[in-house]
Amino acid sequence: MNDAPNPMSGPAAPGAGGDPDGHRPAAGKTSAWGRLRQVLLRPSARYSLLGLLTVGFFAGIIFWGGFNTGMEATNTLEFCTACHEMRDNVYQEYKQTVHYSNRTGVRAICSDCHVPRDWVHKLVRKSRASLELWGKLTGSIDTREKFEARRMALATNEWARMKASGSRECRNCHSFDAMNPEVQKQTPYKKHMHGKADGMTCIDCHKGIAHHLPKEYRDPDED
Amino acid sequence: MDSIARRPAAGLFALPLIAALSAAPAAAADEAAARALARQSNCFKCHSIDKKKDGPAWKEVAQKYSGKPDAEAKLIYHITSGKKAKFPDGHEEDHVIVSSKDQGEVRNLVDWILGLK
Repeated sequence: MNDAPNPMSGPAAPGAGGDPDGHRPAAGKTSAWGRLRQVLLRPSARYSLLGLLTVGFFAGIIFWGGFNTGMEATNTLEFCTACHEMRDNVYQEYKQTVHYSNRTGVRAICSDCHVPRDWVHKLVRKSRASLELWGKLTGSIDTREKFEARRMALATNEWARMKASGSRECRNCHSFDAMNPEVQKQTPYKKHMHGKADGMTCIDCHKGIAHHLPKEYRDPDED
Repeated sequence: MDSIARRPAAGLFALPLIAALSAAPAAAADEAAARALARQSNCFKCHSIDKKKDGPAWKEVAQKYSGKPDAEAKLIYHITSGKKAKFPDGHEEDHVIVSSKDQGEVRNLVDWILGLK
């Protein structure tokens, strides 16, 4: 109807009555939120559309860069090991393995295996990490004993995540097709090629590669 | 009924003998710890206790080294040095090195294997 309130019609004239929805302020009273809305929704009187778009474009780049820099800071070894739960348990185990130190000096840090590289999967993983913050706040594994009691559950979760993604994080660096039979030992090369043909991925066989296996774990090949 | 009443004496005599025969050179090996190290080192990918896979069955290894005085030392060297191992098809390749540098753990694993007769 003609007399229905129109939120896009611009600022209300002073002294006009307010409507129940708050689209127009009551006489003489403009809330801070109301004023902000007026400023934000009002067309620019001074700047050109091109100018606004250009500034917005560069501001967006700076924001995007800042957001990503912040997120990548949570992928560093220093960040992960800032929590004693990680530093005193799995980090110490990982330091004894080939993924920490090896002949060629290629090191895989926590995020290389536990955080996806591509944007969408990375964002999903980071969102799930809020549960880890909760675990930190409630001290779910804040002693050695609690950690060992939960090790099997934690490891199983991670193995399931890796299996579901086809060992995606392993494949960031490792590839069946890049395996050279002239330098890889014959027995593992044969197993790798059989595994590839059977649609297997890394985590199917290579559990416990960077951290100790839980004491409850049984190798499926074990008798 | 009579024979059961007489059995306890025979059982008491046999028990320490069986224990002595089945014990490893020093104390009995810790099977749980041995299996844990074997799992961590991925031994079961190529070895089984009683089946031949890429590597010999461990029961076969135990029988081959049974009674030999240097068995423990030889096997410890075998799994810690990366020395070449001979395969059924005749080719040789470096044996995987066990994933513990703790001599006690390695010895325990070897002792457990040698006890798998």
